[in-house]
Amino acid sequence: MKEWFNKGEHWIWMSSAMVSISVVLVIGLMGMITYKGGIHFWPHAVYEVHLDQNGQKETIVGELHDEKTGHATDPISGVETPVDQYLFKVGNRDVYGIDFRWVNSNVLDGGVDKLSKDVLVVERYEYGNVYGHLISAKLGEKTLNNQNDLLALINQQVDKSTEIRSQIRHIEKIEIGKVNYEIEQLRFEEKKLRLKNEFTPEDAARIDEERSLLQTQFKEFQKQTAVLYKQLNGFGSITVEISGGQKLTIPLKKIVSLWQPNNMNFIEKIGFFGHSVKSFLLDDPREANTEGGVFPAMIGTITMVLLMTIFVTPMGVIAAIYMSEYAKDGFMLRIVRISINNLAGVPSIVFGIFGLGFFVYILGGSIDELFYDYALPSPTFGTPGLLWAALTMALLTLPVVIVSTEEGLSRIPRSLREGGLALGATKFETIMKIVLPMATPAIMTGLILAIARAAGEVAPLMLVGVVKLAPELPVDSIAPFLHLDRKFMHLGFHIYDVGFQSPNVEASQPLLYATSLLLVIIIVGLNIGAISIRNRLREKYKALEH
Amino acid sequence: MSEKGLSISVDRESQSLSLESEKISIEVENLDLYYGAKQALNKINMLIPENRVTAFIGPSGCGKSTLLRCFNRMNDLIDIVRVEGKMTLHGDDIYSKSMDISALRRSVGMVFQKPNPFPKSIYENVCYGLRLQGITNKNTLDEAVEWALKGAGLWEEVKDRLDENALGMSGGQQQRLCIARAIAIKPKVLLLDEPTSALDPISTLAIEELIFELKKDFTILIVTHNMQQAARVSDYTAFMYMGDLIEYTDTDSLFTNPQVKRTEDYITGRYG
Repeated sequence: MKEWFNKGEHWIWMSSAMVSISVVLVIGLMGMITYKGGIHFWPHAVYEVHLDQNGQKETIVGELHDEKTGHATDPISGVETPVDQYLFKVGNRDVYGIDFRWVNSNVLDGGVDKLSKDVLVVERYEYGNVYGHLISAKLGEKTLNNQNDLLALINQQVDKSTEIRSQIRHIEKIEIGKVNYEIEQLRFEEKKLRLKNEFTPEDAARIDEERSLLQTQFKEFQKQTAVLYKQLNGFGSITVEISGGQKLTIPLKKIVSLWQPNNMNFIEKIGFFGHSVKSFLLDDPREANTEGGVFPAMIGTITMVLLMTIFVTPMGVIAAIYMSEYAKDGFMLRIVRISINNLAGVPSIVFGIFGLGFFVYILGGSIDELFYDYALPSPTFGTPGLLWAALTMALLTLPVVIVSTEEGLSRIPRSLREGGLALGATKFETIMKIVLPMATPAIMTGLILAIARAAGEVAPLMLVGVVKLAPELPVDSIAPFLHLDRKFMHLGFHIYDVGFQSPNVEASQPLLYATSLLLVIIIVGLNIGAISIRNRLREKYKALEH
Repeated sequence: MSEKGLSISVDRESQSLSLESEKISIEVENLDLYYGAKQALNKINMLIPENRVTAFIGPSGCGKSTLLRCFNRMNDLIDIVRVEGKMTLHGDDIYSKSMDISALRRSVGMVFQKPNPFPKSIYENVCYGLRLQGITNKNTLDEAVEWALKGAGLWEEVKDRLDENALGMSGGQQQRLCIARAIAIKPKVLLLDEPTSALDPISTLAIEELIFELKKDFTILIVTHNMQQAARVSDYTAFMYMGDLIEYTDTDSLFTNPQVKRTEDYITGRYG
């Protein structure tokens, strides 16, 4: 036994146990997010269960979301008995008010096993899903009853209406957006001239002319959308019998998609899965973010992180070069190093407050006064936005980049610097041409850590630019394409918002997992990109690491 | 490292050499060097002849490498180093305030103990010094690279793979590449700081033969730990001990007829 201890075996066992625990935790967490996020996209079977509650008969149609063992209290004796409880997503929020319903197994008439083939799920733009049986459809002017290919016909029409919807969206968002932008620019131009007291009648005439031209364009677009809206209304509707025998008429224009989950084979289910993933990634959120996709949040996150990288790399690298190559070693440098390391430990919300106070109000306010005075009192940069969020994040991740760059610089062998200097290069030339390129793998390491931190951070962003719902993307087709002053959406904040601020927590839970999964995938993706660049650079300089 | 089994094909010039009849390239006058408070070189006085090989020998820590690094002011990199005295290269004071250090290092090239090629292609390594001077003409660079690689005896081995990474070469090739890199900018003086100490005997032989060739064009100063090497390649040899220049004369005299007892002790292997 003593020998065993002397060998240090117990330490080996303990360290391997710790490693195992970490690995199991990571795999478990990732597995759970992947599974729960994944089933969000898989077509759920829809059950039809019959309830018999003291003679009151009722039928429920819905997806089974959860099971647990609860307690039912006997109303007469007051005895509590354990009972199975089922959580059904019954949908039809406009009718029932709530999407979800717990059902005790003791009131079930029969089991939870009936899957009628013709149950229809209708996903709508408003009020969530509808579960029921298709009765009839009014396509255009024709009313059709139970034809074999009715569903296919409806789907065709839904596709058409979706097409028209996206046309309307394109006109409203992009074309009319552009006109609005130009009208706004004209207003600013006029204001600018007035501020300079250079507003001449010619200018007035010119601006008025341009404005009326734009307004004509605007009216033209409005006319186009009016036609399209009318077309949308002409698509007709379908009638669905929901549980309880109620009939619900749904206009086709309100339908996102419809499917019969119990009637799908495996291939169709995979197709459905792919389709839902696609719409999750490419659609805008609906219903206070609890439904639809996360496209703007995804774009916002990626834009912010890339912008942060652009800011933090030069700042960190230049600081590190100064500290490790130029600054004299001594008390001051030690203090600076300690301060930088401590900066990494400052709570992120403090960075958020600093960003709001310094970047947004002081810097942004000054920029507005200097360059955007014509737009005041409405702020341009004096309000939280993408630029300030990226800068705040850059500040937050600066210590990591500085420390790893310094580490990398100090590992470059002295002999190489001397080789450069001995050929007549100045110190600056040696650093720029020999030392810095060789330190790039270390800089990349710093960036990898910075990206991981910045993409996952939420708290400071809430103060400096992230919003629940941004009307416009930070990148679009209107010059200057990247809008640094705009507010944006972020996946991390989206998770917080959907999970804790939404009125319909049960309904949004699967979305929450899916969003988390996406955030993790984005972070891993950005990291893999950075790591592969780093590995390529390492390969290039490998032979030097003796 | 034993090289006794190797036959050196370098033909020593048989005529007797003397410093008085040489053209002088570098003059060192009362040179003191301090590492902080500690004095590392004491009142060094010597004349370095042009187009000859001058070797510095002595036990570890005697100051021979420190002295070598004075010729291109490499010691400037160390903050605590202070140099007093005078050192002139063809009449120009190396340590004067107006001396352009980059220009000095362009005329005094250096090769280090461990091969230190840059992590670039062979071609880029050789023309690095030229690019620093702003030369971008492809023909000029090509010619210079070929000339330098031929001068360093490397051309035949690498002419077909100039674009390959220099770090993929053998140690001996890397060191010859470093020599090519140093001579590509056509310096007047070439400093070699124990250039073969990290190399195998075959590579060492190649470099020694190269030194013999190069002295036609360059004044060569070599620091070596290996007395046989000094005897083989140099025309003049300086023996240093504890920061003092003990004896400095032509190589044959120093090895066959040392004037100072300490030199004799060292070359006969009593210490060092």
